[in-house]
Amino acid sequence: MYFLGIDIGSLSCDAVLLDENRNIVSSSVVPTGVKNIEAIAHVKKSVLEKSGIMEQEIKSTVSTGYGRNRVPGRSGAVTEITCHARGIGHMIPDTRIVIDIGGQDSKAIFLDENGKVTDFAMNDKCAAGTGRFLEAMARALEVEVDELGNLDKEATSDLVLSSMCTVFAESEVVSLIASGTDQKEIAKGMNRAIASRTLSLVKRVAKDFEGLCISMSGGVARNSGVVKAIAESLGIEKLNIPDEPDIVGALGAALIACERYQKA
Amino acid sequence: MMYDYFKNMVDGVSQKLLQDPDSINAKKKYVLEIAKIGQKLYTRDEKIAWCGVTIPFDLLNSMGVTSCFVEFVGAMLSSNETAPIFIKEAEDSGYAPDSCAYHRAVTGAMLKDIMPEPDFIIGSSSPCTAGLAVMEDMARRFKKDFFILNVPQNNSKESIKFLTDQIKEMTRFITAHTQKPLSMEKLGRALEFFNESSLILKDIYNLAKQTPSPVDNKLLKDFGTVIGLIMGTREGVEICQAFKDELIDRIESQKIDPSKEKIRIMWIQNRIQYKFPIEKMLEDFGVKIVVDELNDVTWEPMDPDNPFESIAKRIISIPYSLGTNERIAHMQLLAREYKLDGAINPCHWGCRQGTGVRGLTTRGLKDVNVPVLNLEIDCVDSRNLAQGQIETRLEAFVEMLT
Repeated sequence: MYFLGIDIGSLSCDAVLLDENRNIVSSSVVPTGVKNIEAIAHVKKSVLEKSGIMEQEIKSTVSTGYGRNRVPGRSGAVTEITCHARGIGHMIPDTRIVIDIGGQDSKAIFLDENGKVTDFAMNDKCAAGTGRFLEAMARALEVEVDELGNLDKEATSDLVLSSMCTVFAESEVVSLIASGTDQKEIAKGMNRAIASRTLSLVKRVAKDFEGLCISMSGGVARNSGVVKAIAESLGIEKLNIPDEPDIVGALGAALIACERYQKA
Repeated sequence: MMYDYFKNMVDGVSQKLLQDPDSINAKKKYVLEIAKIGQKLYTRDEKIAWCGVTIPFDLLNSMGVTSCFVEFVGAMLSSNETAPIFIKEAEDSGYAPDSCAYHRAVTGAMLKDIMPEPDFIIGSSSPCTAGLAVMEDMARRFKKDFFILNVPQNNSKESIKFLTDQIKEMTRFITAHTQKPLSMEKLGRALEFFNESSLILKDIYNLAKQTPSPVDNKLLKDFGTVIGLIMGTREGVEICQAFKDELIDRIESQKIDPSKEKIRIMWIQNRIQYKFPIEKMLEDFGVKIVVDELNDVTWEPMDPDNPFESIAKRIISIPYSLGTNERIAHMQLLAREYKLDGAINPCHWGCRQGTGVRGLTTRGLKDVNVPVLNLEIDCVDSRNLAQGQIETRLEAFVEMLT
């Protein structure tokens, strides 16, 4: 018996296949693109091929992410808030606060001792500090998104981007480049700005987070520069990052699929 | 345009009521009475006053003045989906897009000449000063006299005396514009109707507290705010009675579906005015809005022989008009009385009442184990609605509470 979780986000579509003992059998991340139905089919095919499992062996599928209600054959749809909480609880069991920065939203989720969500805060309508924001900044800095993570390593100034609006921040970056500011300093300033915004979200769910295990999920957790800046702004030594932060939501969905099936 | 809108509403609802005279039809009767006020504002048979929300409409009615709070127009324009035209007009004329859209819509309506010209204007310092600014602007544009009722933010003897004196002065201001003296007999009757309506309202809210609650997500939407327009009239008493009868009928005929009440919530401040199926979405999730923050009777019965002080006490008893501590204490009381599982604050864009104190109200309700979902939504201007984001927040909130 196998259980599938699909997280259909704005930038990537992720899938996790679990066996009945809740072990990850395979996982896959593909770009969502403009046709999310195709991305869903693609990611599903990918996890099946990687595992060698037949589709009919999947007993239940739970979807999550902004396109959760578009996934064909799902037995349930659950929000990304619940799924990220569930997924991170499986990967890093002591977690009490999850920071998830995805393609177009960012959130802080507070969990009780049993891993149940008791509060959450999300960014409002704008994409400030999200994956889309980083894409725009990478474009302005003329680097690949993957290169952003290490770009700020030797930065020394305390520059912070003053605007978190994607449009204004991009124009600020262009102005900084024009004034001769080094690429690494700009990258550092950008990471600090994201961190500041993330800190606000965390404070909205936990006034006092000292001593709590704080973990991060979502694709942006692969960006070491952002992760370091967030840890600094939170005043903690390090953020806990799972091995595969981009599949946390899909893992949570697969776990819920498995639990619901076994309970029924 | 607005006259036709209200006339069509009055004609349409009257027709429906005639077709079904034996049913209780509380909501239709209520809509009819409110639409009649709208129609009167545009026919000018009586003197007209634009007012703030907490102005004593029973007093104005007894003096033969058709009166209404300005935000009513913003809500109407939003519900008939024309608000964005007027909001844009206000913005194009220099009004800040980050101000309250109720007031931008009213300002736009004034600029486009669809606000009925008042004979005078009465504003109040509560619940918000943004409304006061709009009315001041209105007074200048229409070249009309403007009276401001300063409502103190604490419930003390001194405050009541301060407000009582102002209400007396307001009465003289009205008389000066209508050329008709106040009839104490008419005012006394209005207060008796108001008292009678209040008693029935208390019954309505007590019925709503039952588990499962006989209300649905729309029945008492913004009721506490709007019913104030007619509570001092015989029609107001009849409308309140119809709502009470409707709830009793639902209970007795066992029309309440418990599956629609897995979660009981309070809606903070005002609802969303344009067509957005949030009530249906909540119902599908098994969430019932059992109380709106402003649906409560916080005042004692008024003494018709001491009307001005009675009205002052009534106005000052409304926690929404007072300081944040009083407002939070009231929400906590509602949380206990209604056995709430959660609350939703729409955090209406640009509203200091809704957004300014949201951290304090969230913590205040958390203290009594009521989690709050703070949305970031404009309740009047539909142009920036991010439906997907709202749905995700609602759904996640429900998942959290179950």
